[in-house]
Amino acid sequence: MNAALEAMSLGIRYKRSWALRDCSVSIPEGRVVGLVGPNGAGKTTFLHAVVGLLRPTTGSVRTAGEVAFMAQDKPLYDGFKVAEMLKLGARLNPGWDQESALARLAGLGIPTGRKVGKLSGGQQAQVALTLALARRPRVLVLDEPLANLDPLARHDVMRSLMTGVAETGMTVVLSSHVVSDLAETCDWLVVLNGGRVQVSGDIEDLLAEHLILSGPVELAGSLPQGARVVGASRAERQATLLVKGVRVVDPRWVVRQASLDDLVMAYLRSPDEAALPRPAGVGA
Amino acid sequence: MIWLTFRQHRAQLVVTFGMLLVLGVMFLVSGLEAAGYIAEHAPAGCPSLALVCGDLNAALSDRYQMVYNVYGWLPIVAPALVGAFWGAPLLGREYERGTNRLVWTQSVPVGRWLAVKLGLIAAVVAAAGLLMSAMVSLWRPVFGRHDVFGNVGTFNMVGVAPAAWWLFAFVVGAAAGALLRRTLPAMAVVVAVVAIATMGLFKLSAYYAEPTRVDAREWRYTGDQRLLRNAWLDPAGNETEETPQGVCPRGTDVGRSSAEQDAFLRCLSGKGYRQIVYLHEPTQFWRFQLTEAALLLTTAGALGAVTVSRVLRRKA
Repeated sequence: MNAALEAMSLGIRYKRSWALRDCSVSIPEGRVVGLVGPNGAGKTTFLHAVVGLLRPTTGSVRTAGEVAFMAQDKPLYDGFKVAEMLKLGARLNPGWDQESALARLAGLGIPTGRKVGKLSGGQQAQVALTLALARRPRVLVLDEPLANLDPLARHDVMRSLMTGVAETGMTVVLSSHVVSDLAETCDWLVVLNGGRVQVSGDIEDLLAEHLILSGPVELAGSLPQGARVVGASRAERQATLLVKGVRVVDPRWVVRQASLDDLVMAYLRSPDEAALPRPAGVGA
Repeated sequence: MIWLTFRQHRAQLVVTFGMLLVLGVMFLVSGLEAAGYIAEHAPAGCPSLALVCGDLNAALSDRYQMVYNVYGWLPIVAPALVGAFWGAPLLGREYERGTNRLVWTQSVPVGRWLAVKLGLIAAVVAAAGLLMSAMVSLWRPVFGRHDVFGNVGTFNMVGVAPAAWWLFAFVVGAAAGALLRRTLPAMAVVVAVVAIATMGLFKLSAYYAEPTRVDAREWRYTGDQRLLRNAWLDPAGNETEETPQGVCPRGTDVGRSSAEQDAFLRCLSGKGYRQIVYLHEPTQFWRFQLTEAALLLTTAGALGAVTVSRVLRRKA
């Protein structure tokens, strides 16, 4: 399968410090990718490199075909009417789809004669999203699309995004520092932590290969071979572990499936652990 | 892109040409009215800088005090406004509002976006500057003022000077906006740079050409020369900046009398000392205009290159 987005040893350095180091990911086409990580992990830097706003210091990043971007805070020209924002899109992009843009805005009840600055935050987000979708991109990159939106607007934005995905089959990459934003919509997870890619993979596969075990502390020393403890916490004589690569365990453990939240938290707390596909042609 | 540039700067365009229109109307009305007044009151050969026109000139400057005041401020205020309101927000505002991330991620390459913006607005600014110069050149002769060289304020309002100054200020603003990424500080930089450049180029203009050296006794002030300095020639033909000492007795004048000073100068003259004057003649007008324009536009070109490289370096 072709990669929609591929980063090879991508590194970006600001003045002295590295914002991203040695990031390699390969994301298949047609996925909805959730990019998560704590504040300052390098999410925005990574996305800016993907859309060409930043030049890589090392390595490379490439996308399959046209990329559209919706930046954090959804910047628009406040003094422009909505129709003028669409005209901007049409003038600056050869593949512009004016008809679908107008239909989308009409469907959302956003008047095209109104100035952008007079719209609500949710409506502005919808205009910004319309601007990105009307370019008919192969890859759509959204930086914190749900930040600063009320719950209703979050829902509406997510729904219209998903409609767009269903219609075109494009690949979407969206970042968030709130994991629950992503659980329902994404099928691929990338965890960035301290400027490095910690996890990249299909969410179903990731959930299937991670288990949460709770049981007496002394059992923790006798896990089966091949098991890797990603995260552990203990209270009194009780231990709770998030382990990778285990199917059968001692029956004294209480076993449950890890949630996306459990998984992300466990990795973020153990920055040295990683769940990445082996680079092709390297290792055994 | 052209549409976007004009749409984004619609307000500035309207205000700029509105202000030029107001100035044009002011020049036209005052010019027509003054022409009428002169036809009724002027002695033959007036208005001019000739002595017989003194009364008329005083009357004219009383009548048009306000217009002269506005005109007097234009050489420094106009470029500052152009730089602050055309230049500084050009990139400063995009960075400030994050809209650079919107336009720089459209299909149009960033280089073309910037080239169209800088190019179109520079053309508009230059055209506005030339229009200003044309208006001033039509207006001043009505008042009998054909002097365009001696006064640096007037010199900066005629010929190609307004276009060069305004372009310079525009690029200073654009570069400051690109480097500081904020509009307001960039505006402050423009005002400071325009003020310093006005002073600096005035000082520097003494060296635009080799000055003319004339004997003080043969020299007459025409009202349109730039005086640089005086010097003395001793009987042997050596030049010295200082007034010769210990050659003639030098008394001190009391009250309003200048008898002692006159006697001193007569004595020096009698002993073969001569006073000379260094100055630039108005025939150097175009040489000065073009030298100043070249200096301003070369600096603007360098700052423009800094701006472009800053934007293309891709540090969002």
